[in-house]
Amino acid sequence: MSAHTYATLVDLAAGALLLSAVLVVWRRDLQATARLLAVQGAALGAIPILSGIRRGDVQLAVVGVAVVALRAVVFPKLIAVRLRGELAHEREGAPLVNTTASLLVTATLVIVAYALSRPLVRLDASPAARAAPVGYALVLIGVFLLVTRRKALSQVVAFLVLDNGIDAVAFLATLGVPVVVELGASLDVLLAVVILGVLAGRMHAKFGGTDLDELRELRE
Amino acid sequence: MTGVAHGDVARPVGPAPPADGDSPATGAPDGRAERAPGAVAIAGVTTTALGAAGAATGVVAVVRGIGPIHVGSLGPLAGVTLAAGATGGAFMVVVGLVAAAAGVYGIGYGRHGRSSPLQLAAVPAFVATMLLVPLAGSVSTFLATWELMAVASLVAILADHDRPAVRDAARWYAVMTHLGFAAVLVGLVVLAASGRADGLVALTSRAASASSASRDAVFVLTFVGFGAKAGLVPLHVWLPRAHPEAPSPVSALMSAAMVAMGVYGIVRIDIEVLGPGPRWWAIVLVATGAASALYGVLQSSVSTDLKRLLAYSTTENMGLVTLALGAAMLLAGYGERSLATIALTAALLHVVAHAAFKSLAFMAAGSVLFATGLRDLDLLGGLARRMPATTGAFSVAALGAAGLPLGAGFVSEWLLVQSLIHSRPSSGTLLALVMPVAVGVVALTTGLGVAAMTKAFGIGFLARPRSTAAFDARESPAAMLAPMAVVAAACTVLAVAPGVLAPGLRRVLLDTGSSFGAPPHLGLLLRLPGIAGSISPGLIAVAVAVAAAALALVAAVARAGRSRRPADRRAALWAGGGGPLTARMQYTATSFAEPLQRVFDDVLRPDVDVEVSHVEESRYLVDRVRYRSRIVDVVEARCYRPVLGAVATWASWVRRAHNGSVNRYLAFGALAVIVVIAVAR
Repeated sequence: MSAHTYATLVDLAAGALLLSAVLVVWRRDLQATARLLAVQGAALGAIPILSGIRRGDVQLAVVGVAVVALRAVVFPKLIAVRLRGELAHEREGAPLVNTTASLLVTATLVIVAYALSRPLVRLDASPAARAAPVGYALVLIGVFLLVTRRKALSQVVAFLVLDNGIDAVAFLATLGVPVVVELGASLDVLLAVVILGVLAGRMHAKFGGTDLDELRELRE
Repeated sequence: MTGVAHGDVARPVGPAPPADGDSPATGAPDGRAERAPGAVAIAGVTTTALGAAGAATGVVAVVRGIGPIHVGSLGPLAGVTLAAGATGGAFMVVVGLVAAAAGVYGIGYGRHGRSSPLQLAAVPAFVATMLLVPLAGSVSTFLATWELMAVASLVAILADHDRPAVRDAARWYAVMTHLGFAAVLVGLVVLAASGRADGLVALTSRAASASSASRDAVFVLTFVGFGAKAGLVPLHVWLPRAHPEAPSPVSALMSAAMVAMGVYGIVRIDIEVLGPGPRWWAIVLVATGAASALYGVLQSSVSTDLKRLLAYSTTENMGLVTLALGAAMLLAGYGERSLATIALTAALLHVVAHAAFKSLAFMAAGSVLFATGLRDLDLLGGLARRMPATTGAFSVAALGAAGLPLGAGFVSEWLLVQSLIHSRPSSGTLLALVMPVAVGVVALTTGLGVAAMTKAFGIGFLARPRSTAAFDARESPAAMLAPMAVVAAACTVLAVAPGVLAPGLRRVLLDTGSSFGAPPHLGLLLRLPGIAGSISPGLIAVAVAVAAAALALVAAVARAGRSRRPADRRAALWAGGGGPLTARMQYTATSFAEPLQRVFDDVLRPDVDVEVSHVEESRYLVDRVRYRSRIVDVVEARCYRPVLGAVATWASWVRRAHNGSVNRYLAFGALAVIVVIAVAR
């Protein structure tokens, strides 16, 4: 693979990451966001695979495959399972901010992310490092989603976007972390998603809905 | 009036006893399972054993000192260093003996208690930590044991956490004691840093070379911290809450032993380690002590809650001790070595005496509470016939607290007054100004103390019962009476033969510093070194005993003579239409203290409310008069409430940001993340 092809493909993957995140902000339907998450996971996994092929690093490619399996298949599947029994109004993300404002804020956050990650880009001129701000943007968008979504499952989605962002920074800026660390982090996220899913189910059973506003009553 | 002048004519129709008060008397009223007596007994026996072991260790420490034992593995960084000289040993003996008595007492008191295993374990743990404080040989160990003592005592107070008053008291105590701890912590860390050592012995020799600014800072900070523990004004506010609300064995431990730890801190750190300081240190001690003594005794003389009265009396006595310590420092600074020694002896003796009579008083008050469920003096009375042993014990304690001859507190207060009045005005202007004022304070304190204790004893135990609960009182079990008898005997020994403490006192004074001379002679005749003044409490006791025996003999002879007269004829006397004597005709605690309350109106600022309701037909006929008087702690109202109010306002602003919305909390987190990233780049 030539350097030019590699740079193009990495940029393409990073673009897919960012676009899928923006689309998650745009769409309200949770089933659609689950599909978008699958796309995002595939794009994220593509980065270490591409780097692995370019450098002939098998380990990195294997990590990429594992990432794809986990983030493009397992997580969306878990969310879809959780959604299957829900009523229509439960499948909505129920944002606190309307879509237009959300998209404007997302645009601002992407700019902020590029501004914040300037020192990181300056360290290394490789095409991957130049795309690192996308990871930052994903983190910020994930936090924004956490702040503005009311339903428990949309919080899970937001959390996954955030985590994808962290992983993206790791892959883009440092050519991947050691397998053990990546494995540990991924298992942590898996556990968190399972627990959040169970919690959402319990909330549903207890309050008849997964609206986080119901939790306000639990305050002391 | 019919012929029966004393004794109970009828069961009073007084108000029923309120449900509160840490009432251990009536089993488990709220349906909780009763604690097995075994657990209570184990806790009590452990406490007593710990106390006895601590007292024995203390005696060893006084006699030959306990050399530094360093256990590096016990604590992080500095390890644990145990060492005790004569001073620490003396305080260990005091704590240990109080704990030994309180342990046995707790078995009887807690027999029907509702304490959880944690609370039962809290009392022995509290005793153990209190015994470790004087054993601490280094700054780090001292701080660790000091904090452990605070935490253990907090758990012990919370035994009755179902009642809001207890939770409130515990909250005040927790905050005040930890503010004090923070002060001690900073002070001792500054001391250790400026002396470049951790061990207290090493610091003693190096502290003198530290800069005067850091020495002053250490003095102020540690005095604030130790003063809070000793209950000195204005840091006393926790004391009249926590001591009454704790279970009575814990009250006895806190009031007799734990406040003494505050004095230990002042003696050990501020006098022994920091050594002779500038004159204003002594003035600070004298002024704080005088304010505490006066304020404590005033509040104590007007309070109607028996345990609250005793708690304020603790503030008073610790004030006297602090005043004596300050006087000792001041006199030593002016080169009056023998007078300084007398003042220091007075302080140490008073700590011992206070531990004895105050633990006895709290145990007797607990016995009353056990029998009646009441702490309100206005509802008590008539206990002398129903609970003779408890009454006897309280009378010994009250005599000690009043500072009258034959009371445990007399010798120390006499020594204090002697040291104050014998200073020569020619020694210095400051001395000439401070000493007369101090004498006045001590005299006023003692006088009001007599009034307070007369009220506690006379209103609470004599005359007729004012409520059904007091009428139905029965004597407490032997497990409670036995330790009270032992402590009462100890009080009597302290009052009549203080000489038993002389060897120990000599060693403590040798330990305390080179600026103090030979201790006063505490034999049958108390002789003061260097000045003309002597008294013999033993001979006074003999004289009083002889006089009492003579009076009894005369009375017996008179009665024998009278029996030959014709039998009395008894008939109702004209009683103004009032009928026979009732409990409503006697003084109550409120009415007894009313003149004092009037005199000290400006200081106490009582909230008095007289409500007269008339008979409907005529304004000239009074249906009933209701008198209510509430005395709030002025220091608390003036110094603490504004601060608490400001904090509450600020907190309510902050609370608006915390409305329970998960999204909002996440937004705070997100903002923080962005700020961190922006700053860290």
